[in-house]
Amino acid sequence: MNSISDEDLVLHHYRDGLDPGELARIDAALAASEELRARRDALLRVLAEVDALPAPVADAGFERRLWRGLEPRLAVRAPRAAWLDRVRDWLDPPRLAWAGAFALALVAGAAFYAGRQSAPGPDEVAQARADATAMRVLDAYVAAHLRATEGVLLTASNSDSRELLDGNRELAASLVDANRLYARAAARAGNGQLADFLRQLEPVLISLANQPASTPVKGNEGLRDYLRSTDLLFQVRATQARLDRNGERRT
Amino acid sequence: MTDDEARWIASAGAGDAVAFRRLVDAHAGALYRVCARITADKAIAEDAVQEAFFNAWRHLRDFDGRAAFSTWLHRIAVNAALEQMRRRGRVESALPEGEEGEDLLARALEARPGPERLARSAELRRDIEAELARMSVLERSAFVLRHHEGQSLEDISAALSLNVGACKQAIFRAVRKLRSVLEPSG
Repeated sequence: MNSISDEDLVLHHYRDGLDPGELARIDAALAASEELRARRDALLRVLAEVDALPAPVADAGFERRLWRGLEPRLAVRAPRAAWLDRVRDWLDPPRLAWAGAFALALVAGAAFYAGRQSAPGPDEVAQARADATAMRVLDAYVAAHLRATEGVLLTASNSDSRELLDGNRELAASLVDANRLYARAAARAGNGQLADFLRQLEPVLISLANQPASTPVKGNEGLRDYLRSTDLLFQVRATQARLDRNGERRT
Repeated sequence: MTDDEARWIASAGAGDAVAFRRLVDAHAGALYRVCARITADKAIAEDAVQEAFFNAWRHLRDFDGRAAFSTWLHRIAVNAALEQMRRRGRVESALPEGEEGEDLLARALEARPGPERLARSAELRRDIEAELARMSVLERSAFVLRHHEGQSLEDISAALSLNVGACKQAIFRAVRKLRSVLEPSG
C-alpha cells in the first residue's frame, strides 16, 4: 500500500480534495491493510489531541469591551434609522463641544464652590465631594470621547470604503474641538497626564479630519504605520479603561 | 436560525443598534473562538471580532439568508482575522520551500507513543498549543479552517489566496508539525 501517502490519508479523513475513485481505492486499501490502518489511526490520534484542546474563551470583560468599541462606530453607517441619526447628532460637533464646555464649566464651578466653602472655615468634606463630582463627570465625558475617538481611528485604519471614510472624516472633525476642551478641563482639574495625552491626540484627529478624500487607501497605510509605531490605539483604550475605573471608584 | 434571531437581523439591517447588540451577544463567543484559533493572539482576535461585527453591520442588508447567519458571520470573522494578521505583517506571501512529499509518518512510524505520552496531560496540551502558535499563519489558518471550521479546500484556498495545491500543502505541514509534538523524532 505504499502508493497511499499520509497526505492521501489526511485528505481521505476530511473527504476533500480526492475524487470518488481515489476515496474508494483508499477505503479498500484500509480494509485490506493493517499497516495502513495503523498509519491512519496514528493520524487520527494527532487530530483527536487537537480536538481535546480547550476552545479559546475570551475573558469576562470581552463582550463589554467589544460593544464599547463597536457602538460609536455604528453611527457612521448610512443609511440609518431615524433614531440612529439622533445618536449621530449626539456625536456632532456642537453637541460634543457643548459637552466639553459643560465639563470645563463643572470643573471650574467645583473649584469655585470649593473655594467658597473653604473661605469661612475649612470644610474638607464639602470640598472633596465637589471635587469628586466634577472629576466623575469629566472622566465620564472624556471616556465617551475616547470611545468615539477609538472608533474613528479603527475605521480610518481598517476601512477602504470611500463612503465610510467620508463619514469618518466628519466625525474626526467633530471630535477636534471637544478634544481641545477636554484637554483644558483636565489641565484645570490638575490632571496633567490626561491633558498631555489629549493634546497628543489632537494632531491625529486634525490629520484624520483633513485626510484627502481621493487617496483613502494610501492615507490609511500611513495611519496604520503610525498607529503601530506609537501604540496610540492601545493608549486610547488604556486611558479609557482607567477613566471608567476611576468613575466606578468614585460612585 | 430562531425566530428571535430572524427578527433581530431584520431590525439590525434597518439600523436598529439594539437588535444588533443582541446578535453581537449571541455570536461574539463563537467568533472569538475562530479568530483566536487563526491569530493565536488574544488581542488580535479581539480586534478581528470587532472588525467582523462592524463589517457585518455595514453589510447586514446583503445577508440573503441562503447560508445560516452564523455561517455568514464566521466567513466575515475569518476574513477579518486574516486581514488583521496581514496588517501586522504576519502573513507570509508564500509557503516555505521544501518538505513537500515527505511522508508524515516517515520519521516515527515505529515509535508509537506510549500511554503516558498519549495521556491528555496539561503539558501535552501546552505543547500542541505552542506548536499551533509557532506554525506559520497560512499553515495554522488552513488547518483551522479545514479541521475546526469544516471548510472545503476550495473555500480555504479562496480565503487564503492560495491555489488548492498550496492549500493542501499548508494543511499537510500543519498536521506534520502537530504530529512532531506527539511523536518527537528519534
